[in-house]
Amino acid sequence: MTDFQANTRHPIFNVGDLIVVKSGPPEVHCRTPTYLRGVSGSIVQIMGEYHNPSLLAFHKTSVSKIWLYRVNFEQADIWRKYSGPNCDTVAADLYEHWLIPA
Amino acid sequence: MQRKVNDVGGLAGLTINREEHDQTFFEKRVDAMLMLLTSPKVKAFSVDSLRRTIEESTLDDYSKRGYYDKWLYAIRQLLVEKAILSDEEIEQRISLIKHSKR
Repeated sequence: MTDFQANTRHPIFNVGDLIVVKSGPPEVHCRTPTYLRGVSGSIVQIMGEYHNPSLLAFHKTSVSKIWLYRVNFEQADIWRKYSGPNCDTVAADLYEHWLIPA
Repeated sequence: MQRKVNDVGGLAGLTINREEHDQTFFEKRVDAMLMLLTSPKVKAFSVDSLRRTIEESTLDDYSKRGYYDKWLYAIRQLLVEKAILSDEEIEQRISLIKHSKR
C-alpha cells in the first residue's frame, strides 16, 4: 500500500500572481509540456494538492503532495509569429516546482 | 532539451484522425483489464506509471500503435515490473493461445 504523506505547506503562489515556467530539465514522467517552458503566464486558480505524479509513475511508496495551479498564457507569448487574435489564451495545469515568480 | 514522444504540442506536420468508430471487442477488453488492474481493490499499478511506460516507447512504436495498443504494451511491462507476471509466463500463455486457435 502506498504510504501517502500529508503536506502541511501552503501554496507559494496566489491567484493573479505572474510566473515563468522553468526551462527544465524535465522529469522522466513530466506533466509540463515543452511548448510552455520558459513562457510567462498568470495564476488563475489553485487546483489543490496532488501526489507527485513523477514519483507515482515509478511505484514509489511514500509520495508527498504538491500544489497544482491553473495558469493562463497568451498564445502570442507561446508561439512566434502567432497570427490569431491578441485575446487568445491557453490554460494549463502545472505543478508548483515548475513555476518561478516573474 | 529532449522531448518525450508524447510531448507533441506545437510540432508541425501531424494530423488528427477525426473518424469515430464503435469500440471493438479488443478495445473493450483492454479497457476492462486496465480498469480492473487499477481499481481501488487491486491497485496493481498507478495510472501515472501507465503514462510513464507509454512515454518511454520509441517514436516508431508510439506512432504506429493505437490508443489501446499503447495501453496493452504498458500493462504488460508494468505487470512484469511489479513481478505480478514474468515475461516467460506471458510468452507461454501467448504461445498456448496461438496454438489452440489452429
